[in-house]
Amino acid sequence: MGIPYFPGCTLHVKAKGLDDSTRATLAALGLELTELPEWTCCGTAFPLAQDNYMGMVASARILAKAAKEGDGRLVTVCSFCYNVLKRVNFALKNNDEARTKLNAYLEENYNGELRVLHPLELLRDDLGFDSLKTRVDRKLKGMKVACYYGCMLSRPAKEMEFGEPENPALMEEFVKAVGAEPVDFPYKTKCCGSYQVLNNYDLVAGRVKDILKAARVRDSEVIITSCPLCQFNLDWLQDRFADEDKSFSKIPVLYFTQLLGIALEISVAKLGLDNHYVDPKPLLQAG
Amino acid sequence: MTSEEMTRKVKELSGQNPYLCMQCGLCSASCTGIGVMDLLPRQVMRFLQLGKEEILKNRSIWMCTTCLICTARCPRGIDIARVMEALRTINLRKGNDILAPEDVPAELLAEIPQMALTSGFRKLSA
Ligand code: SF4
Ligand code: SF4
Repeated sequence: MGIPYFPGCTLHVKAKGLDDSTRATLAALGLELTELPEWTCCGTAFPLAQDNYMGMVASARILAKAAKEGDGRLVTVCSFCYNVLKRVNFALKNNDEARTKLNAYLEENYNGELRVLHPLELLRDDLGFDSLKTRVDRKLKGMKVACYYGCMLSRPAKEMEFGEPENPALMEEFVKAVGAEPVDFPYKTKCCGSYQVLNNYDLVAGRVKDILKAARVRDSEVIITSCPLCQFNLDWLQDRFADEDKSFSKIPVLYFTQLLGIALEISVAKLGLDNHYVDPKPLLQAG
Repeated sequence: MTSEEMTRKVKELSGQNPYLCMQCGLCSASCTGIGVMDLLPRQVMRFLQLGKEEILKNRSIWMCTTCLICTARCPRGIDIARVMEALRTINLRKGNDILAPEDVPAELLAEIPQMALTSGFRKLSA
């Protein structure tokens, strides 16, 4: 029986590469995941209005069910799922009104006992980065990597407990462990424009340009993320930027688990590397 | 909605006190919406302090990405993202919204990750 795992809706469809590469890499490292027997959408966005408990019900239901698996942990990799599940779990643990109302809606008695974990935390705590160093078959020596956390992993710091709200370091530690070189990347927790891609193209295009430029200034060869929406925003606009500006040079945007898969020499087909807009294949030749 | 009602409702929904704001502008300087917002978060806070209800009709509240950079940086400890959400929520509960499904271009819809739709419609659609 593996560690209970919540993939989330996007990972079964548009971000299948994130799901496939997460399962394949963690399994290769002895960290088997078992998908929850039944699950629904987590709701994606944590509600910020104090009385909006309805916006927490979906996550609360997933958490209450996952607690019955008896492992005490729930792993999820999409940054949105991780953010909302962790914040709702925090509310269930620390906010009396939230706990009473949500349990009443759900006819459950769940009090936030689970630990909601990101695979980066599993790699650090269950496997250990020193051990990961000895497991990578193909050292990505000298590959310059920009670690892009986006806005969801580390904020709010008190609830997410993912390091400094604007300067987390876990992804960089991971990159070092697979033998690559994290660049100094001041835009690592800037927002890519997020769901405003539906509403305001200029906003997203502006933020994405800033982030790509900051990555390129440090000679990054690849940007890594754990968020399907960051991945999409940073990736799909690059064709358009290249059309608009002949001097624009593209940079591949991968899930961190895909980079891990490359380091572990897992076959490209299992990592979903074919589904990106900017072709990451040239990276496979490097090193 | 009178200006008193608005102030009370924003406080209630956000759990934040806009009068704590000292107008330093750090939130505006940090905001993801720079360049597209007509009023940046510092100005939104000032409108609230002055009880100007027209802030409810402001475009900026719909440009916010709830990225929490402002919240992380405010030296007065105000969760500004919650204030922005309170202003959206007052609108959404009256049926005033900004995003309709038919506004999303088909080419984008074919490509975009699912969670962008769920989160976007949760924040921007009544
Ligand atoms: S950062 Fe805080 S105190 Fe400064 S202007 Fe913004 S809300 Fe006011
Ligand atoms: S949460 Fe909204 S108001 Fe605050 S910095 Fe982000 S986009 Fe700007």
